[in-house]
Amino acid sequence: MSVRTEKRQSLLTRIMNPKYMMVYATVIIFLIIYAYGAIRYGKSGFTTLRTFVNFFTDNAYYGISAVGMTMVLITGGIDLSVASVASLTGMIVAYGYERMGISPVITMLFSMLVGIGLGALMGAAIHYLNVPPFITTLTGSFLARGICSLISRESISMNHPLIDQLAGTKITLYHLVDGEWVKIKPITKIDMTVIIFIVMIIAGTILLQHTRFGRNVYAIGGNEASAKLMGLPVGRTKIAVYAINGFCSALAGIAYVLVVKSGWNMALLGGELEVISSAVIGGTLLTGGVGYMVGTMFGVLLKSVIPAIINFNGTLSSWWGKIATGGLLLLFIVIQRLVVSYTERKRK
Amino acid sequence: MPEEVRKQTNEPQNILEMRGIEMQFPGVKALDGVDFFLRAGEIHALLGENGAGKSTLIKCLTGVNHKDAGTILFDGKEITPTSPQNAIQMGIATVFQEINLCPNLTVAENIFVGRKEFKRKIINAKARELMQRFHLDIDVTRPLSYYSTAVQQMVSIARAVNIESKILILDEPTSSLDENEVQLLFAVMRELKAAGMGIIFITHFLDQIYAISDRMTILRNGRLVGTYDIGEINKLQLVTLMVGKDMENIFDLHPVQVAPDAPDTLKAEHLGAPGPVADISLEMKKGELLGFAGLLGSGRTETAEMIFGANRPTSGKVELKGKAVVVKKPFDAIMNGVAFCPEDRKRDGIVGDLSIRENIMLAVQAKRGFLHPLSRAEQNELADKYIKALSIATPDAEKKIGELSGGNQQKVILARWMATQPDLLILDEPTRGIDVGAKAEIQRLMLEMCKDGVSVIFISSEMEEVIRCSNRIVVMRDGKKAAELTGPFDSETQSKILQIIAEGGEAS
Repeated sequence: MSVRTEKRQSLLTRIMNPKYMMVYATVIIFLIIYAYGAIRYGKSGFTTLRTFVNFFTDNAYYGISAVGMTMVLITGGIDLSVASVASLTGMIVAYGYERMGISPVITMLFSMLVGIGLGALMGAAIHYLNVPPFITTLTGSFLARGICSLISRESISMNHPLIDQLAGTKITLYHLVDGEWVKIKPITKIDMTVIIFIVMIIAGTILLQHTRFGRNVYAIGGNEASAKLMGLPVGRTKIAVYAINGFCSALAGIAYVLVVKSGWNMALLGGELEVISSAVIGGTLLTGGVGYMVGTMFGVLLKSVIPAIINFNGTLSSWWGKIATGGLLLLFIVIQRLVVSYTERKRK
Repeated sequence: MPEEVRKQTNEPQNILEMRGIEMQFPGVKALDGVDFFLRAGEIHALLGENGAGKSTLIKCLTGVNHKDAGTILFDGKEITPTSPQNAIQMGIATVFQEINLCPNLTVAENIFVGRKEFKRKIINAKARELMQRFHLDIDVTRPLSYYSTAVQQMVSIARAVNIESKILILDEPTSSLDENEVQLLFAVMRELKAAGMGIIFITHFLDQIYAISDRMTILRNGRLVGTYDIGEINKLQLVTLMVGKDMENIFDLHPVQVAPDAPDTLKAEHLGAPGPVADISLEMKKGELLGFAGLLGSGRTETAEMIFGANRPTSGKVELKGKAVVVKKPFDAIMNGVAFCPEDRKRDGIVGDLSIRENIMLAVQAKRGFLHPLSRAEQNELADKYIKALSIATPDAEKKIGELSGGNQQKVILARWMATQPDLLILDEPTRGIDVGAKAEIQRLMLEMCKDGVSVIFISSEMEEVIRCSNRIVVMRDGKKAAELTGPFDSETQSKILQIIAEGGEAS
């Protein structure tokens, strides 16, 4: 008996570990908003599984990019080039097939290499030349957007069986009714983009939590000078993080192509801020050192659930969504500050 | 006392032999033919004033700097450490005064990051075991930032010890620890010594050197003075060797005479705030020096902060110069002629990137308000005056304060508050982490200010300093005023204070 209570206590202290507080805050706020929607609009279908899955579908490409962004933010950096790189990816794929007749398989792989290469280049500039990440990646953003416009200044819509097939690949959800598998009503389907999103979140979690690389990422964000003195491979890790983020941007660009089936030089304009704010709402500290993939996932979901509520309401202007997101961002920055000052006060 | 430079002999048990180390910095020879020998299983104190070359010698050994000449034999083989990482791999671990860990990682992660052990379960178990060896029962899965500086210091030592190192360098490890924690650290050091590790111990606390070291090596101005067994020379001889002057002379300081009818500068009655301090009453006359003795965390700093308005008292009242005042924030105190030099010079005191002149001006300008700026000529005059008066070692007033040595930084901060011409000056640990010569100078300056009619509150962990300079001493214990002793003090005073701190009672 006594053994059991002891075990329970240790579980409680494990759960109450202050390092998870921010993630809890995100999840709780998501649940509160979801509960509000469920109570107000439960009858009009807010609580269905389809609505829930749509939270993922709506912002899946931002979510994919946010996986890489979370890592960058944990190291204490920032990457403003993600939306431009994603847009460039779309352009490469669309232009490659429609104007040059290259198979999307090749252009997709090529654009991933471009993303990784550009990311690694920016990472190297940040580490070796000591250029602030903000400036470096802003430059990278201009470069990617510029190349994009150089390729074509108008939107290129594309029509390729592979793209259609990928975009059409959906997992339809069934449930068991009286011993028979029937489709969930209303019919709920999981898109390819959502699958990529979830796979990336899982992969990101494993990378951050269960590898040496992940621990080095956190260490660098905590105190880069110390990390160096502790003998950690700081340069290598930082470059790898930006390269991974470049890969995520390209993947997000591919996911975006699957949704819009076109390439456009002005696509996803300002999207980097959506991505960064998702990660921050998910509890990632802009000062580095703190952040979890699960939190980022809920950050992305929070950015879907608010427009959903406005949609269900039907009378509100959609700009309320922006205002609510802005308010939420502010709230989170305040909470983060409170948590940080609380732990500072806690230590004597 | 031996007059000639004492060379060490070649001994088989030497784990480290550094010979003829030379190091040239622009304009100054930091090390000039220094020999240093470390045996396995000994604690070897490395001593010298700031700028004597201790840090440079350690940096040569750990690969931060590269020596210009000389040889380093480690375990009989010649080595040339290229980077801290490289030194760690060879088995030379260093714990610096500043904690070089990641606050966001857990205790266990901090100990093991970059090592071959990686799985959370394993490192948590190992870290728990390691911390228990340090007699610390803490949750190793919490972030490091959750714990006090002392615990963090222990964790950084645990990390260093965990590397299979043969040499452990402890650079001022005790400056942020209280007496119990120091004892804990010493216990661990003795264990490591018994296990055959060679420990290089750098500290400014002379008592600690005698408490734990086996031998000591003294440097002065980049040259070797000598290596001695611990019983060979006493403290006085040691300081004389370090400073190169007679200690009796440099510390020939006496409390200032205060006229019995001098007016009160400060009268505080029943000051208290929940938590740190309760019911403190103080009275100070013009030109008096009041010493605060007590352990770290006994409420010394908190009391000073209440008088200065950095912490608001919830009870009690304060009178300055016979006038009741309400001090809500430091600015109120400054306007009433109170000045406060905080404890953590690096964090709360200096603005590292500003020049000496700008650092001195800060408080004066704040007091005058930004609408009444000091002209550049006035600033220069003021800065030059204090650089001269306090003999701050700098080519000119425009040098960045961050580039000065600790002792000189402290003098600049003193100058900052002296320039406001305060009636009451509170100095919290002004002599911590600076060398003996500079300590004596700071104390002399305090006493000179007293002569000029300034009342000074002097907080220090080094009891001898407090006893030497104070007219009266307040002994703090657990947030309360345990006793107040009135001078003149004698050789018995220190044991009396210690007794009060230990037992809490009023000494008879």
